[in-house]
Amino acid sequence: MSRKNEPTLLLAGAKDEIQFDHNHDGIDRRGFLKCMAWAGAGAYCVLQGGVLHSYALGGLGGHKPAGELSFVQISDSHMGFNKPANPDVTATLQAAIDKINALPQPPEFLLHTGDISHLSKPGEFDTVEQMLKGLKAGDHFFVPGEHDVLNDDGQSFRERFAKGTQGSGWYSFDKGGAHFIGLVNVMNLKAGGLGSLGAEQLEWLENDVKHLSKSTPIVVFAHIPLWSVYPEWGWGTDDSAQALGYLKKFGAVTVLNGHIHQTMQKVEGNVMFHTAMSTAFPQPKPGSAPSPGPMKVADDQLRSLLGITDVNFVQGNHALAVTDQTLSG
Amino acid sequence: MNRNVFIGAVVLALALQVAGQDAKGTTVEVKIDNFSFSPATITIPAGTTVRWTNRDDIPHTVVSDKEIFKSKPLDTDDQFSYTFTKPGTYDYFCSIHPKMTGKVVVQ
Repeated sequence: MSRKNEPTLLLAGAKDEIQFDHNHDGIDRRGFLKCMAWAGAGAYCVLQGGVLHSYALGGLGGHKPAGELSFVQISDSHMGFNKPANPDVTATLQAAIDKINALPQPPEFLLHTGDISHLSKPGEFDTVEQMLKGLKAGDHFFVPGEHDVLNDDGQSFRERFAKGTQGSGWYSFDKGGAHFIGLVNVMNLKAGGLGSLGAEQLEWLENDVKHLSKSTPIVVFAHIPLWSVYPEWGWGTDDSAQALGYLKKFGAVTVLNGHIHQTMQKVEGNVMFHTAMSTAFPQPKPGSAPSPGPMKVADDQLRSLLGITDVNFVQGNHALAVTDQTLSG
Repeated sequence: MNRNVFIGAVVLALALQVAGQDAKGTTVEVKIDNFSFSPATITIPAGTTVRWTNRDDIPHTVVSDKEIFKSKPLDTDDQFSYTFTKPGTYDYFCSIHPKMTGKVVVQ
């Protein structure tokens, strides 16, 4: 479908709801929506047909969508980090685990989108492995962040967290009627470049989705954002457009990333992008600081900038609800 | 030989020797701060050692584009040194944050 007009963007600041459906076709929308849920103001988004509804968490009145599948994403635990931005990353990871264990609907599995460790040290990996044993969720799925593959091209990461995967750790699986794809974009990075998937992984991806029906909901997860959040800080992936090209035929694609230690969302065409908070320390808004380094905030504010992401998928009406919850409260 | 000329020659020889030692033994510092190398480009005579110090709260590496030199991950305050013996231009970057690039020009 040709697009003559600029995408419509309606952000209802004072209201709880965000909608856009500028084509009035309810199906093939192409627009741009970006909402940043900062500190405590968790966002809850439901994508239904061509309309995206977003509600503040407090406005739900206890309602929680029932779905065939629910899972949780956590990210950027940076076990081993001990600088002023958070001297106790173990305590905040534990708070995230407690938060997940307290969810009204226990998640079927956990996605960890990388930077499990700060320095790829065996002791750091051990600590996280032990702590996650206390998590009330079925399977755990991981993709590496750049901090997990510092010393051995990710071999020790794969032995612990991604056994039996392809290449440098990519894989796919099916759950609840949706197809999940874990990608690795933190290896073999080139000078001056961004995240990178590489030719071998892209070829694998093309083959992996080739035979799927276009109505299959797709969930892609990887560490570095697969959209251009802020290339000046390396917040993007050089060859993500090619990967997303293989997913064009699908009606509903959700991309879950970490790396930037804050939530951001964007809907473009059939794809909803979402980044998760860290469980360890916040990073500044794009361009708001000299560098993306750890952001020191007042002690009593830290947990309002860390959190988990709860995802509910409702089959049949193609609704996918993404809920961010901070660790405070 | 005239005594003064002799003394002058000895002084000159010593001076040259000292100068030579200086060129070989010099260490130049590059700071890693706020996800950047500072200074990003340095020009040095052959024989100079460059020492990088990571001042960030996040680990970085110093890796030559052609892998002529490659540091281990440098945590906060860790250092990496490399002595440049051959003239040329050496581009390098942080392999963890590849947007961070730098250059050493050896004359």
